[in-house]
Amino acid sequence: MTNRVIAWIDQRFPLTSFVKHELTEYPTPRNLSYWWNFGFLAGFVLVLQIVSGIFLAMHYKPDIHLAFDSVQYIMREVNYGWLLRYLHAIGASAFFIVIYIHMARTLYYGSYRAPRELLWWSGQILLLLLMATAFMGYLLPWGQMSYWGAQVITSLFRATPWFGNDLVLWLRGDFTVSDATLNRFFALHYLVPFIIFGMVLIHLVALHAVRSSNPSGINLADKDNIPFHPYFTSKDFYGLGVFLIVLCGFVFFKPDFFLEAINNVPANPMQTPAHIVPEWYFLPFYAILRAIPDTLGGVVAMVMSIMIFAAMPYLDRSKLPGGARFRPLYRLAFYVFIIDVAVLSYVGAHPPSGVLVDVGRVATFVYFATFLLLPPVSILEERWLRARGLPPGLETLVVGEDDKVGAEK
Amino acid sequence: MKRLKFAGLCIFLGMAMNQSLAVAAEPADVEIPQSPAAVRRGAEVITNVCMACHSLKYIKYGALAQLGFNAKELDTMRGGKSLKEPLVSDMSPDMLKEGFGVVPPDLSLMAHAREGGPAYIYEILTGFYHKPDGSVDNHAFPGIKMPDVLNFSDAEGPAQRGPLEKQARDAAAFLNWAADPHAAERHHLGYYVLAYLLVLTILLYFSKRKVWARLD
Repeated sequence: MTNRVIAWIDQRFPLTSFVKHELTEYPTPRNLSYWWNFGFLAGFVLVLQIVSGIFLAMHYKPDIHLAFDSVQYIMREVNYGWLLRYLHAIGASAFFIVIYIHMARTLYYGSYRAPRELLWWSGQILLLLLMATAFMGYLLPWGQMSYWGAQVITSLFRATPWFGNDLVLWLRGDFTVSDATLNRFFALHYLVPFIIFGMVLIHLVALHAVRSSNPSGINLADKDNIPFHPYFTSKDFYGLGVFLIVLCGFVFFKPDFFLEAINNVPANPMQTPAHIVPEWYFLPFYAILRAIPDTLGGVVAMVMSIMIFAAMPYLDRSKLPGGARFRPLYRLAFYVFIIDVAVLSYVGAHPPSGVLVDVGRVATFVYFATFLLLPPVSILEERWLRARGLPPGLETLVVGEDDKVGAEK
Repeated sequence: MKRLKFAGLCIFLGMAMNQSLAVAAEPADVEIPQSPAAVRRGAEVITNVCMACHSLKYIKYGALAQLGFNAKELDTMRGGKSLKEPLVSDMSPDMLKEGFGVVPPDLSLMAHAREGGPAYIYEILTGFYHKPDGSVDNHAFPGIKMPDVLNFSDAEGPAQRGPLEKQARDAAAFLNWAADPHAAERHHLGYYVLAYLLVLTILLYFSKRKVWARLD
């Protein structure tokens, strides 16, 4: 019976061949480490956020007089409402942790390089959409930090030349963040995740065209590829188990770890909090914004700091495979960048005063320098490594690569 | 591999540090009791003293039954109010604004709405003192408009202060419950969820090992 149903479907829709092509026979490098688990985890968190969000929306009221109360209603009166909200709030932070690790892996192993530029750029678009969604979602509880965070970030658009004021007015729908703003942010916060979902499908189509990169950095011969299912399904589900233990540890025992105390005070347009900070995942970019004394310059630097990832395939001129593994200078740059991001996060979390201002400026300079010095550094590094003689492991990889190109010709 | 792990760890430690620095701005070495008895005593302090001016609009009288109050005790606390009514002060916000210059903040979320949490509430309640000119001020909140409700500034020596400090601790314990009434249920459920996930993850690990063993 089942076979007949599947046969009936297969005549009309490529079900069996699709499953074979994308799952049971989809060739995946067998040497992928656990750092390759985070793409699957990001997909899982997206579904978790959409599902918990839909149930929250059934009880939430996007009205400045009701929003804060409706969140408390969810927390106190709705059956397991606290579970929904904490899953959603912790899930947002988890989403960024997973995505940042996913990006760090791509940078470390050079997975952004040809032929994966479009895959990397679709990921860049996903990052922007995720940031927009998180920013709009943070307004919805209508606490003090929600309100003032949105007030500060929307007012940044005032720096736009010629029509800055009109743009801010158009974004907020009012002269300040208000009921109109809350309503549109809610509408968009509900919409954008589905656009993200569609973009994820494009990301996956791009992935399946060029296949996964791997720690060795070269395209592996067919014998080193194994089918995605059952090998990577079993590995991904094990990773998911570990991830869920951490996630639930926070949800059940430290649910307000990422929340600001002041956001438990309802939004008050008449009273500015002493110290406005964005959520932790925006801190490095916020620090860069504040490091530039000029508003327009700061906004441009902040946007550039996020968009510069897209240029990586062209900034990195080295042809050596294997990402940072076989490239000492690139590896050094990677760690400098990671530490620099941590320093920027610290600076962004604290009021700009005294030495922190200078630290923020130096860290901003280092942030852009690690990217912009990459073209000469990567060319010199490759020359130096080739002149010195490649390490034995890499030698075989590069030789193998050359053979393959020769064979194709 | 190991180095990437280390870098990942660094960045999260950095971020976690930011977070903990932001939260524990003023760590008070005050132990706020969590026992049901303390929370119950705190509920009486809050309803008898604080609710003269403050409200707890997200807590209903009926919810206090969870704390172990019996019907008779609840009846004395709520006076003529229904069990479905929230804990709202009898004084109107307008009267309070006229009397004190500010509307006293709602206390439902107070234990989560200030840096320092319930310990900060304890510090406010026990922070009152006489200035040289005889007027009363507060160490934890200079210039506070709230009067010294426990009469702490007049208390002298441990014998008089002890009972007041206990009342303040109990009040903080109750407000800690009020800010997060599902905490106990959440922790209880959390242990089961984590135990389940632990077993599931161990099984998933062995199933992964078994599947991958086919390759060798």
